[in-house]
Amino acid sequence: MLERITDGFFALDAQWRIAYMNAQARKLLRARADCVGTHWLDVFPKARGRLFEREYHRAMRDQAPVQFVEYSATAELWLEVKAYPSPDGLSVYFRDVSSRIEAQREIERTTRRQQALIELGRAALAGASYEQTLLDAIDLVRDFLDASIVELFDYERALGVPSVGRTIGWGEGAAMDPAAPPIEHVTIALRTGEPFVCSDVRIDARALSIASLQECGVLACVAVPIGTLEAPIGAIVAYHPAPRSYSLGDVRFVQAISQTIEGMVSAWESNQRMTQVLESIHDAFVAVDRDLRVTYVNRRMAAFWGRPTIEMVGTPLETFTEGFDDGGRARDQFRAALRERRAITFETKYGKRWYETRLFPFAAGVAAYVRDVTSRKSEQQHVLELNAELERRVAERTMQLELANKELESFSYSVSHDLRAPLRAIDGFSQALLEDYAAQLDPRAQGYLERVRRAAQRMAGLIDALLKLAKVARARVDFSDVDISALAASVVAELRESEPGRRVDVEIQPGLRALGDPHLLHIVVTNLLGNAWKFTRRAERAQVRVGKNGEGEFYVRDNGAGFEMTYASKLFGAFARLHSPEEYEGTGIGLATVARIVHRHGGDIRAEGAPGAGATFYFTLPLEEAGDAHHG
Amino acid sequence: MGKPYILLVEDNADDIDLTQRAFDKNHIANDVMVVRDGAAASDFLFGEGGMRSRGAPALILLDLNLPKVSGLELLERIRMHETTRLIPTVILTSSKQEEDLLRGYRLGVNSYVRKPVDFNEFVDAVRQVGLYWLVLNEGPPPVGGGGM
Repeated sequence: MLERITDGFFALDAQWRIAYMNAQARKLLRARADCVGTHWLDVFPKARGRLFEREYHRAMRDQAPVQFVEYSATAELWLEVKAYPSPDGLSVYFRDVSSRIEAQREIERTTRRQQALIELGRAALAGASYEQTLLDAIDLVRDFLDASIVELFDYERALGVPSVGRTIGWGEGAAMDPAAPPIEHVTIALRTGEPFVCSDVRIDARALSIASLQECGVLACVAVPIGTLEAPIGAIVAYHPAPRSYSLGDVRFVQAISQTIEGMVSAWESNQRMTQVLESIHDAFVAVDRDLRVTYVNRRMAAFWGRPTIEMVGTPLETFTEGFDDGGRARDQFRAALRERRAITFETKYGKRWYETRLFPFAAGVAAYVRDVTSRKSEQQHVLELNAELERRVAERTMQLELANKELESFSYSVSHDLRAPLRAIDGFSQALLEDYAAQLDPRAQGYLERVRRAAQRMAGLIDALLKLAKVARARVDFSDVDISALAASVVAELRESEPGRRVDVEIQPGLRALGDPHLLHIVVTNLLGNAWKFTRRAERAQVRVGKNGEGEFYVRDNGAGFEMTYASKLFGAFARLHSPEEYEGTGIGLATVARIVHRHGGDIRAEGAPGAGATFYFTLPLEEAGDAHHG
Repeated sequence: MGKPYILLVEDNADDIDLTQRAFDKNHIANDVMVVRDGAAASDFLFGEGGMRSRGAPALILLDLNLPKVSGLELLERIRMHETTRLIPTVILTSSKQEEDLLRGYRLGVNSYVRKPVDFNEFVDAVRQVGLYWLVLNEGPPPVGGGGM
């Protein structure tokens, strides 16, 4: 029965001699059948001092069964052993568990590799240097694959061939010349984008140069490309001095290392690109961490601070801003940007130059862009100065204008006073001549004197009209609601009183209102109705209409003398007259005054007419509703 | 105390003659005392001699645009001074500037008459002023003064 069991079995007597051994045990332990009766350690000398000896003795001493798994150097296998003691001896059952143990060890190895890869990736992310990460990657491959040499190749884009980057293991008694290593296995890997695995270079015919590896003491290798087929970065290669069958796990591990390197290279390249951008921008740039220590400065910034870049990284910002920073203002702004997580722009002056700093907070710190804005600043200053100059000029002009106004006023005063006095003398003494020397003057002389007097009086009238026009031009416009209908009615009443003999048919549209200065509008209505009155003097049935048309224009219409439309534009100029004084008296200032008043109200005036068919004067004034815009 | 007289303060010789002529044409027989500028008027009204010996005028006709002391300044002195403040004073001038009108009345002028250019109108204006202030109007009772 003991012969048939698949487990190995042997029994020892109380003196540790082999009492029995089945065929399976003899096979696994490579023992001869005549070992019975011999001390077990004499049969299996390799077990001496090992776990086997210790456990069997413990079982006998305690008289209790033991169970263990141990590598048997005798069998070159992993054995699971169960031993049952009795006072007469020990029964030992064992079986081969090597495949199970190997699987376990493979799992452990894979786990350790994965942990190592995670560590490598984490270190690269945490900002370990590029060089250090590559060295760590090479070390990992060597350790996990038990490689004698690990090579890292850079892909030379220009040449299209890989070149040696960094090698570990060369030189330790290896025959390979690192200056000109065989590379065909690497180019194959890069060309295919797949790992190149060679278990024994002596029997591999895929590459011509691979045999030369043997001269370098290499019999097996695995080459894994880094990067993609489209964008190769390089390759990592592990060499072994003896033939070796690479497991899938081995290859996968090297591929994972390759991917870590690829990720790091692309991060490094994007970092390089960022650096290029930061170096090429016109602004000086500095980045600081949350403790305001410098993490990056571009050349422009370094030049500005006058220190080498390498010296600045890791140093507190204040070390450099001291002397530039006005009372720590810049530092406070950096802190504010961090604290409030907002972009801040501020200006500082250093020496004679102005600098603008823009701060952008990010998760790990603050980025600052500094630029010289002296020219912009001086332009601003220039604009400010120009504005001040302009204001000064405006003030000056205003003063001049006020002065001119004052002069005009005193001119008006002297016109009204000083010019009238001589006129009065001309008129007065002409009259005196007529009275006192009538006898000596013939009718013709008397007629001349009358004409002198009329001319003097007319000139006095012109002076008065001019003064009125000047006064209207300067007068303040005080807006209020004006009843135009009532105003027209009162003016008509005055006109009727002044010329009781006239019969004029007047119609005034009721309810006409406007927003305006009552005094000035009185002048307007008086002038327009006065004209209508005057120019209808020769009409058969004089008619005057006051109203408002569909366009919102007020009008004063008469059926009097009218005028040629050709001259319509001349009507509103000072001293413009379309009739001789003999026909219709007047100064020619009235309509100019009317136009001036309407314009000062923000309105417009126009005239329509035809000779003998009468005239209509249209004017606009602000409505009561729209009046607010004209107040003040 | 003599016959009531008119004090004419006027610098323009033409206007003096024309005013005198207007008085004559209106048969205003009162004496007309003429002074040619504001300073001379001041001397006459407030100085030694002048008004002290002759007594207060029944009417002062005052031009505004005068050399040295202006008409309005003179008016102010007249109205401030105890012996002259009640004398009827009429501004007779070419100006009808609002400012002059306002200041004249503020300073207490009794009338403000603008001289018309038309001599006939001027004669009429002088007639009315004379008639009103010298005939129709009862002047103030005489106040304490040197010669009274």
